[in-house]
Amino acid sequence: MKLSSIRKKQIVAVSGLAMVGFLLAHLSGNLLLFKGPEAYNAYADFLHSLGPILWVLRLGLIGAVLLHIIFTVLIVKENRQARKDRYAVVQDHRNERSLAVKLMPYTGFVILAYIIIHLLDFTFADKTTIINGVDYGLYGLVITTLRNPLHAAAYIIAMFSIGFHLSHAFQSVVQTFGLSSEKSRPKLMLASLVFGLGVALAYSSIPLYVVATFR
Amino acid sequence: MAKDKIINVTLKVWRQKNAESKGHFETYDAKDVNVNMSFLEMLDVVNEDLILAGKSPIAFDHDCREGICGTCGAMVNGYAHGPDKAVTLCQVHMRSFKNGETIVIEPFRAKAFPVIKDLAVDRRSMDRIIAKGGYISVKTGNAPDAHATPVQKKASDLAMDAAACVGCGACVAACPNASASLFVGAKVSHMGLLPQGQPERKQRVQNMVWQMDSEGFGNCSNAYQCEAACPKEISVDNIARMNRDINRCGN
Repeated sequence: MKLSSIRKKQIVAVSGLAMVGFLLAHLSGNLLLFKGPEAYNAYADFLHSLGPILWVLRLGLIGAVLLHIIFTVLIVKENRQARKDRYAVVQDHRNERSLAVKLMPYTGFVILAYIIIHLLDFTFADKTTIINGVDYGLYGLVITTLRNPLHAAAYIIAMFSIGFHLSHAFQSVVQTFGLSSEKSRPKLMLASLVFGLGVALAYSSIPLYVVATFR
Repeated sequence: MAKDKIINVTLKVWRQKNAESKGHFETYDAKDVNVNMSFLEMLDVVNEDLILAGKSPIAFDHDCREGICGTCGAMVNGYAHGPDKAVTLCQVHMRSFKNGETIVIEPFRAKAFPVIKDLAVDRRSMDRIIAKGGYISVKTGNAPDAHATPVQKKASDLAMDAAACVGCGACVAACPNASASLFVGAKVSHMGLLPQGQPERKQRVQNMVWQMDSEGFGNCSNAYQCEAACPKEISVDNIARMNRDINRCGN
């Protein structure tokens, strides 16, 4: 089945939204870290106890990531083809053409690279962390990993890449489905920026807390 | 009467013999330019000198020279239709430039707009999109009374705004992806907003979008450069409307 350019963009938009849903759920879980090891590890155990449901969610997420990447690559390839001869001089026609739009492919790559690091750090790592004879489990793993300033810095850079990506993406989804208007667009753009930065800051609070508290 | 201000500028102009040849920039001095000249008049004067010197004049598209036909257009210092807001290139005057400035002039660049010669580009891809749905099929006969089909004031205003599109291609030229979404959005909206356009509304948007895709235009990434470059200030609301209309169709 051939898809129009607009439909392809909508697939990127919907798969992106699915990832945003995951991002918010993940964040709500992560913030339990501030409640202490019991609450945090209990939440992780609860997720694992879901069994097949967890796998459905995981497969859905993997599907969304793959669709997002595949269709973006298709679209970007077409975009490159559409202007093979580049301009010698080209200016922004409006100042509002934010850095976020220009950096979309780069922030995307940073996010993808960090997903791999993140999975190696936490998902595929051994989750027994014995400190002073007590097993702190996943909580301990997070603390010992993010205490390392390099890991913490990578985490924060990745989260701000996501924030930047979202600051363009959120309003872009609304426009791609044709739901924005001249009136709502400036508000949507602002909301998009606030949302992106909010996600970045909320996530970054975790490594900052770890680095500051567990030296 | 006060004497008109005179400036000297250096032009870096894209010269390309034909679609097949590789182009390059050439530098020309435009001396004693009256700032009240239009940009195209300045090019005319440069061309006169080139012709007198036995050289080939710079080819550029132009017709009405009053901003209503959509024929002219080039990238001037990186801006589609030059640095002024909401005008076509023929409406840009030399007073927008400084004495001693170097002005870089390039054709609108897109795969769907192959260069014919120098700054003149082939924009028939847009005509082919129009041929796919930029019309309303009606039985001919006497013109109906103006008030025979009531049109809401708001719809009429928005349709008129969309119909202001002159099809110059600045939206494509300014788009980082060379997308024609604003052009197609305007054409789809201009018909789709009016009662006369309703019977063919779905079919129109589908066919025009298919044609846009097959012409090799890029995809819209909502950078909104098109709206900012448009000499008629067509709103990206028209792209949203096109996307909405596509949602009512199949694929």
